[in-house]
Amino acid sequence: MTDITGSGPTRGEPVLSLRNVSKNFGAVSALTDIELDVHAGEVVALVGDNGAGKSTLVKILAGVHQASSGTIRFMGREVAMTDPGAALDLGIATVFQDLALCENLDVVANIFLGRELDPWRLDEVAMEVKAWTLLNELAARIPSVREPVASLSGGQRQTVAIARSLLLEPKLIMLDEPTAALGVAQTAEVLNLIERVRDRGLGVIVISHNMEDVRAVADRIVVLRLGRNNGVFTPESSNHELIAAITGATENAVSRRAAAHAAAQEGGLA
Amino acid sequence: MSQNPNSVAGRSLDRADARLRQDEGLGGALRGFIDRVRSGDLGMLPVAVGLVLISVVFTSLNPVFVAPNNLVNLLFDCATVGIISLGIVCVLMVGEIDLSVGSMSGFASAMTGTLWVQQGWPLPGAILAALAVGALIGALYAVLFNRLGMPSFVATLSGLLAILGMQLYVLGAQGSINLPYDSPLVKFGQTLIMPDWFAYLVALIPGILIIANGLSAMRRRRAAGLSGGSLSLVVIKALVLTVALEVVVWYLNLGRGVPWMFGLFVLLVVGMNYALTRTQWGRSMTAVGGNREAARRAGINVRRIYASAFVLCSTFAALGGILSAARLASASQQAGTGDVNLNAIAAAVIGGTSLFGGRGSAYSALLGIIVIQAIASGLTLLNLSSSLRYMITGGVLAVAVIVDSLARRSRVSHGRA
Repeated sequence: MTDITGSGPTRGEPVLSLRNVSKNFGAVSALTDIELDVHAGEVVALVGDNGAGKSTLVKILAGVHQASSGTIRFMGREVAMTDPGAALDLGIATVFQDLALCENLDVVANIFLGRELDPWRLDEVAMEVKAWTLLNELAARIPSVREPVASLSGGQRQTVAIARSLLLEPKLIMLDEPTAALGVAQTAEVLNLIERVRDRGLGVIVISHNMEDVRAVADRIVVLRLGRNNGVFTPESSNHELIAAITGATENAVSRRAAAHAAAQEGGLA
Repeated sequence: MSQNPNSVAGRSLDRADARLRQDEGLGGALRGFIDRVRSGDLGMLPVAVGLVLISVVFTSLNPVFVAPNNLVNLLFDCATVGIISLGIVCVLMVGEIDLSVGSMSGFASAMTGTLWVQQGWPLPGAILAALAVGALIGALYAVLFNRLGMPSFVATLSGLLAILGMQLYVLGAQGSINLPYDSPLVKFGQTLIMPDWFAYLVALIPGILIIANGLSAMRRRRAAGLSGGSLSLVVIKALVLTVALEVVVWYLNLGRGVPWMFGLFVLLVVGMNYALTRTQWGRSMTAVGGNREAARRAGINVRRIYASAFVLCSTFAALGGILSAARLASASQQAGTGDVNLNAIAAAVIGGTSLFGGRGSAYSALLGIIVIQAIASGLTLLNLSSSLRYMITGGVLAVAVIVDSLARRSRVSHGRA
């Protein structure tokens, strides 16, 4: 295991740092003593098997759940995210795995939900123009922003959710499985977008099961296993190392399968 | 338009996608409307069809139904339950229900009667007190719902009984209080009619507003590089509406004229429509009704939205109760009982507000209550017993909910939520 905490590409001030963050759901410890640092202009990939606690961690940082213990420092100050609005106000934007869109509202209303321009006399024109600008930046393929979100495909909804997260010009943006529902071109666009966001000096946290995508954009890869830290890697780390950290052993289902495969090939050659 | 920095390849920003059908002008609007109806987005269509059917049937059975003065009476009756129904629209928008609006209206009328006639309070004070109690009870429902997680169905069901008890307690042994006939409240509820010229003038306002809003929206959209829509469509809409309203006013003026109380009701409906469609609060109400968790994650204070819905609903119910006391010139034990509750809820649903939340309009209270009162008035003219009246009204409500459910299913399959 290569521990490179501290020696990572620190391009700027730490945006976010977690110390000993734990979260219990009753008797279940979803997260135990999590440590995580994200610096400005850095993409941190959060990987781990199902149930490793990735989404729980994201929800804590988004203010959806509250940590049971531990400290969260954001932009140098210790913060408590008591509700999603507080996290948004701090400058932490989140694209949730389930996207959290209102299907009965149109695209513009969803992008500006909770942040409407001119609360007493909604400025629909300015909101529509801004919505188109955001969507065009993402090279989104959405025919009309005045259709309810219910009529959009999975990829289109994903783009709407990402556009919404960019609306507030956040300092940290978290993407939970951003490419899972996307086609080839959109995946590339989202990866480009992540790099553009990073180059603007934002901190980015990406959750993904797709190791190829993770390697493509991440500066550091943080592995969670059963709710605990299980190592920090660089994109140069070997697949073997990563999978060992994710599954928790060098001897695991993936390595056994690879070994069996190799043995079968050798047997075939003999 | 191609000089505009926001436009894409000579097309306005929102018309750039090649897959989008260019629905412009009158034909486009018509095509869009037909598409919406086919996909289950019925809007006000069922109500319009229903009203025409009702008028034809009842007029053929008893021509008095369309007599101007019968319609004027109908509008008086609409205003009271209609205002209660407006509150129901608020709670239905967030996907909740208030079953106690009938009791609340009865209690408010009892309070007004007691405080004003028996205790000698000034009339405005008594009305304000009744409204305040309404708001307070709404706030109590909000606490039960938000803090204790009590389903609104159960909370307001217990409220239905408790508030009815309070109404009976306030009225005491005699059971009913007569309101003085020459008081401004009773005059407002029974006889106060707009002058003819004023009614004609008021009927012009919607058309003028449509044209003014349409023009300014078009100008601003063009300036921002968005498609502007069609001017002829706006003008035709305004013209048709104005002519229709003026004809209605002319017809009502053949009888007594347009009641002030109905004017108040329409004013409240228009105000509520603005609040629901053009303010952040209204957008939040729709969002909470559509996807509560998404609204919460967008930073909306969901509890406050629920609280505002419950408080508004109970306050409107109290106002409706005060006006029905004015209409009957009495506050009695019967006020707010019987079918008031269900008529208010049925009106909102018949008008097109979904029982499932996130979908509705203030105008559904207006249109729905006209349908319900038209049926009630028609059946009364036929001298049918109340047994038959209940059965027929129940049948109509069932049909309305069936239309709503089928349309909803069709909307889901057409991707319109």
